[in-house]
Amino acid sequence: MNDRRDEELQRLARDYHRPPETPRDEMWTRIQAERARRRDAVKVVRLAPWLRWSAAAAAVLVIGVAIGRLTAGHPGTTPGTTPARDADVAYRVAAAPYLTRTEALLTSFRAQSRTGRVDADYAVQAQDLLVTTRLMLNSPAARDPRLASLLQDLEVMLVQIAQLRAEGDTRGDVELINHGLEQRSVMLRLRAASPAPGINARGAL
Amino acid sequence: MDDRELIARVRAGDPAAERALYDAHVDRVYRLSYRMAGDDDLARDFTQETFIRAFEKLDTFRGEAAFSTWLHSIATSVALNGLRKVKRFRKREADLEEADGVPGGAPRAEPDLKRRLAQAIDGLPEGYRTVFLLHDVEGYTHEEIGAALDIETGTSKAQLSRARAKLRDALADFAGEWIR
Repeated sequence: MNDRRDEELQRLARDYHRPPETPRDEMWTRIQAERARRRDAVKVVRLAPWLRWSAAAAAVLVIGVAIGRLTAGHPGTTPGTTPARDADVAYRVAAAPYLTRTEALLTSFRAQSRTGRVDADYAVQAQDLLVTTRLMLNSPAARDPRLASLLQDLEVMLVQIAQLRAEGDTRGDVELINHGLEQRSVMLRLRAASPAPGINARGAL
Repeated sequence: MDDRELIARVRAGDPAAERALYDAHVDRVYRLSYRMAGDDDLARDFTQETFIRAFEKLDTFRGEAAFSTWLHSIATSVALNGLRKVKRFRKREADLEEADGVPGGAPRAEPDLKRRLAQAIDGLPEGYRTVFLLHDVEGYTHEEIGAALDIETGTSKAQLSRARAKLRDALADFAGEWIR
């Protein structure tokens, strides 16, 4: 009985997320463009194991200082005791959760926008991320031209999302945002800058 | 030309071989990505990222397993990590909606058989769902699944069996209707 049911289950499941024809040429073009971009980009910083711990410790300090600056309003405070190069690295480490969160927001935004409805929550989240984007752009992390270019594109995208009206027809604006995401390969660059746990994260830092 | 020759030519810097290797495998990777994501943009992103990583790391491929096995292990890793990120974000959104007292989701209609099945597959634990999609939908063998997910063949079989049992339970209301 179960065998027959399992066969039927398989037959029915073939319609689950049935894929369309593979857009092979389109994907190949984007793969080539992204690979060229990564080749041209500044090489990823590779640290000795002992320095990774230093970087992590520095990141905690830097985040603490950043929070302190935000909440206590002491614009003159800087991580002065951290050597400049270590601070750069620490900011890059601190960027990871921000990049992951931004990637998740943009991915979800793009998926939902195809339903023709975009929640007002996106504008709120984008507004929130904009603050961090500006902090990142003003930090030593932006000395990395690749990250700086990505942050600048993200800022534009997030501003557009943050300005989406809660009511009324936003389709034109949403199309513009999605077009920008596509044209600038923002999602691929985000994923490159924010390696997921697993195979490509090894040696990234 | 087989994968081994293509890989040798790619390593020697032949761009035509890169395209040939991509053409030989992209359909299966895209199908897998789409089955897992159910979304064209995500499937494209996952497929693209899979090949970018594969080409970047091709020097580390030692040829102990088939190239397709190695490639599909990257594809499943990319898709699962990508989906986890999306899921986390969507959960946060749902929590916010709940906190605001906004009812989430579409009004419940009486689901037909396939919709009920789709919901049941969506609701499977990640490991069960992945094995079910790979085996019963995309036709991977348990050996291929074991290599792609880095699990024992027996684990793959056990997860498939549990996935099917859960799906059968989910469709119990339709008993008699879905068995021909």
